[in-house]
Amino acid sequence: MEKKSLWKKITGSREASLVIVLIVLCIAVTIKSPNFMSAQNILEILKNNAVIMIMALGMLCVLLIGGIDISITSTLAFAGMTIGMMYKYNKIESTFLGFLIATAMGAVCGLLIGVIIAYGKVMPIIATMGFMYIYRGFAYLVAQDQWAGADALGSFKDFTLSNSLSFGLINNTITVTVICYIIFFIVLKWTKFGRSIYAVGSNAEAAEISGINVAAIKTAVYTIMGTLAGLCGALATSVYASAQPNMQTSKEMDVIAACVIGGVSMNGGRGSVLGALLGALVLSVISKALPLVGINAIAQNTIKGVIIVAVIVLNVLTQRMMDKANLENREM
Amino acid sequence: MAGKSGRTISATPDKSLKKALLSWEGMLLLLFIAINILCKCISPVYNLTNVLREMPKYLTEIFLLFPMAYILLMGEIDISVGSTVCLAATMACLSSNAGVPFIGVILIGLLTGTVCGMINGFLATRFRELPTMIITLGTQIVFRGIAEIALGDGGSISLTNADGFRAIAGKVGPVPYMFFIVIICAVIFTVIAEKRVFGRNLYAIGSNSRTAFYSGIKVNQMLFISYTVLGLLAGVSALFLTSATYGANTTTGKGFEMDAIAMAVFGGISTAGGKGKLIGGIISAFTITCLRVGLGQINMNPQVILIILGALLICAVLLPNISQSISDKKKKASRA
Repeated sequence: MEKKSLWKKITGSREASLVIVLIVLCIAVTIKSPNFMSAQNILEILKNNAVIMIMALGMLCVLLIGGIDISITSTLAFAGMTIGMMYKYNKIESTFLGFLIATAMGAVCGLLIGVIIAYGKVMPIIATMGFMYIYRGFAYLVAQDQWAGADALGSFKDFTLSNSLSFGLINNTITVTVICYIIFFIVLKWTKFGRSIYAVGSNAEAAEISGINVAAIKTAVYTIMGTLAGLCGALATSVYASAQPNMQTSKEMDVIAACVIGGVSMNGGRGSVLGALLGALVLSVISKALPLVGINAIAQNTIKGVIIVAVIVLNVLTQRMMDKANLENREM
Repeated sequence: MAGKSGRTISATPDKSLKKALLSWEGMLLLLFIAINILCKCISPVYNLTNVLREMPKYLTEIFLLFPMAYILLMGEIDISVGSTVCLAATMACLSSNAGVPFIGVILIGLLTGTVCGMINGFLATRFRELPTMIITLGTQIVFRGIAEIALGDGGSISLTNADGFRAIAGKVGPVPYMFFIVIICAVIFTVIAEKRVFGRNLYAIGSNSRTAFYSGIKVNQMLFISYTVLGLLAGVSALFLTSATYGANTTTGKGFEMDAIAMAVFGGISTAGGKGKLIGGIISAFTITCLRVGLGQINMNPQVILIILGALLICAVLLPNISQSISDKKKKASRA
């Protein structure tokens, strides 16, 4: 078998082309605004987009099995709002406990969704649409027309200001993100569970016949998604130093967009942790860079949407060209 | 040749009353009546007349339901339509404030919606590899983004001269004009779906898009038409919405796409395509509206209403699935 040339490798791999896009983007912005690439600014971008980046991991798994979850930000708000209220009324003090409660709540929310989708055989978009209403409603009910501000949260908001988790090296939010990415990278690439997720997404029937418990895998994936959403509920409450029932509304679309830009197929079975990371990074760099290059704040959503459409359309066009080239080079 | 085939195509459905009531649409009708009785019990002022009166406030999404049902029947989806409503309402308000005569305002609103629908249709048919979910996710952000630019820094606009909009919000007795247009649309769309080739082709595409294509159905053309019509009706919906709110802002029409999809699914239309009837969607739309009006009248927290709607939506899909799997198991047991 002949070795692939470097050029082929780059054009053939989706991740490599995304890295190039990311580098070009960063260089272009740096020319216009020199301190864009400063360490402080990069850390700031990572910290502010940690929620999207972490949830992109869960969404990656959900999309890999051919599903979708649009209830995540409702779960996030429900979990975040609950611990916010707990701090407000001094029910709990410790930061760790807050994270634990939020994550556990997210896991339960996700489990419920998973069971209904996997065992009740409800279409993922419908089930999660229903739960999007339900969990958001719960968040409002928990809040009781109130919200938890910075003073109510007390020491909880200090978590994202300190560097304690990595012994002073780097911000806690980023540490959590990095840990999540390492875990998911290992699990999806080298464990039986991770490979079963890909198997279920590529062909659920074949997976079932080969002895994989498809329903259990599906339930597990939605539970993981919920767990991450719960964790992000605590993170978002801490990062923005406030818990409101409408927090992160419609950000689930950003999470899905990050995955899709990262080359995760919505039909299941195709996508990688690296892709999700790069997709989320491209989105966060764009949203940070637009004001720096002098684009008016009110035009930012339009530009973001156009970029999303352009990236997915370009992806299809390159795929078509590659297919055509492969067909021409095929040995007859 | 006429008598040659021995096959009799006896597609005449069993029209007994029992069967009609046991169908999904029959159950929905019973639910509609049950909810009306329930609302009557909990709220002394509730009656169908004030549901009709509240229609422009609660039911502008029903215009989106008809073409959305077509798109769902083909196994596709459109989540950008709420943004289309926002953009169309914004353009209508802007042109009205700029002094365009009202007929022009209507045309601009409808045209904006149609163009948005055509963009979706174009992208959906030219790039068939892409799921329509992801295409319309992109255009959702773009359309609302354009509305945000048009609205400027304030993010909202109110009509300076609402005479025209007040005219279309008019009523015949207690019945708003909108109701008649809804009924006309409902009849047209139902007849097309049930009795016309276009409608039957929708089901064929939804069951198997590829076979439908090879059997000569112009899949792309039908997709493009459906998306365009959805855009057009989003314009209609925007005009009636504006006639109730006298303005537009950046959150106008948010969640309309989900409402329209929820109505269709609650009415028995499968998002996987090929299954369900439009009439079910229409009944469910009215059922949801009655529930909203009734619960709103006893000052129930709107968030609780959302929770109830979400739970209803899930149950509507879950319960038939469960009963199906139970009867499957029984069949298996009896065979063994």
